[in-house]
Amino acid sequence: MKIDQLIKELDCEVLHRCKETGVKDLKHFVVSDLMSDVLLVDGEVDLLITSLSTAQAMRTADIVSAKGVIVVNGKAVTADMKAAAKEFDMTLLKTKLSTFEACGAIHRLKGS
Amino acid sequence: MIIDKNIPIKMEESTSLILDLIYRLKIKDVMSRNLVVALPEDPLDHIKALMKQRNVTGIPIVKKDRLLGILSIDDIFKALDNGYIQELAEKHMSKKLVMLEEDMPLAFAISYFDKFKYGRFPVVDKNNLLVGMITSRDINVGLLMAINKEVARMEELLAQNTPVDAQNIRKTFRIRKYDFEHAGNASNRIKKLLVDRKLDPRDIRRVAVAMYEMEINIAVHSEGGSLTVAIDNDQAEIIAKDAAPGIEHPELALQEGYSTANEWIKSLGFGAGMGLANIRRVSDEFEFQSALGKGTVVRSVVRFKRKKENEDDH
Repeated sequence: MKIDQLIKELDCEVLHRCKETGVKDLKHFVVSDLMSDVLLVDGEVDLLITSLSTAQAMRTADIVSAKGVIVVNGKAVTADMKAAAKEFDMTLLKTKLSTFEACGAIHRLKGS
Repeated sequence: MIIDKNIPIKMEESTSLILDLIYRLKIKDVMSRNLVVALPEDPLDHIKALMKQRNVTGIPIVKKDRLLGILSIDDIFKALDNGYIQELAEKHMSKKLVMLEEDMPLAFAISYFDKFKYGRFPVVDKNNLLVGMITSRDINVGLLMAINKEVARMEELLAQNTPVDAQNIRKTFRIRKYDFEHAGNASNRIKKLLVDRKLDPRDIRRVAVAMYEMEINIAVHSEGGSLTVAIDNDQAEIIAKDAAPGIEHPELALQEGYSTANEWIKSLGFGAGMGLANIRRVSDEFEFQSALGKGTVVRSVVRFKRKKENEDDH
């Protein structure tokens, strides 16, 4: 799926947008609030879905070379996190959906 | 360098920074220029009022910027005791003057305070005109400000991302306890260097994961420590060291999911109990030593197995 589909479906607020994410076909999603669990993933990571709304989520996403992060539950994103998104030029989205709802929506999009 | 036995620190045992500072800083850099002065024809009770009003204990007596003498609060006491407070300054001021020149290094002033038991020294310029006064407080403040500036500069140097040369990277990062604002930054920077070097993404991932987990571990669990990274063409070696507090059950710490982190740490995204297990998983060599009260050392080596497919091999 393309990032624009996802932004529309999850009704995301776009806090930072990296050009690369726009053209890429997103396939690999990782969901976790504990960063070590993210680092455990062996394969490619396109997007990290998390309710952790601090710069640490961006730094962890950078370690696994993710293209973007979606913050769920409508959590307030810290200024640090936005700054890190710019620094790593990584797409940062925010949705009001819960982790469960966001994953469900992404799953439906993947199937379509 | 001039060695002065009147400076109350041992030259051979002092840090080069402090020695450098007390010789590099000039008296004019720390002295106060906001002078309270009086004229020789001023009566002593006027000077007494001036001392009280300006909260000083010594006043230079000048004429056309030329220093003629100094009147201290002791001279005022004497005048009060002996009933001549109405008399003029020039009659009772101290004319035996010990002066400093504004271009002398601060070390001179420090040695003067040790050698002569005055609370302040007048400072003159090349033409012997009064330009300032210096007290121990001026020296303390001036040194503190200069040290603060130097330490800030050193910290910046430490943090700067400057590989020794293009091939070999050797860097040590200081990691502070609970500094979650920066924890992870060092790993992000090293990862970027490896990406620029076009290493295989899988190798980059392994190095970055090992380093990031070590960095977070130091910030979360220790009293602060260091992270040393040495990278050449074939491998990356990362060593995490901290001095305290050490781990009570090192064998448990290696178990996946075993965590001693509290809820607060978990709310920050850490403490999954996967840190050491993750490091071991991505490492080709892994060493881990810890004992309560003795601190912890973790060493990881990642060998670069793969060359990037599109890279030329000649």
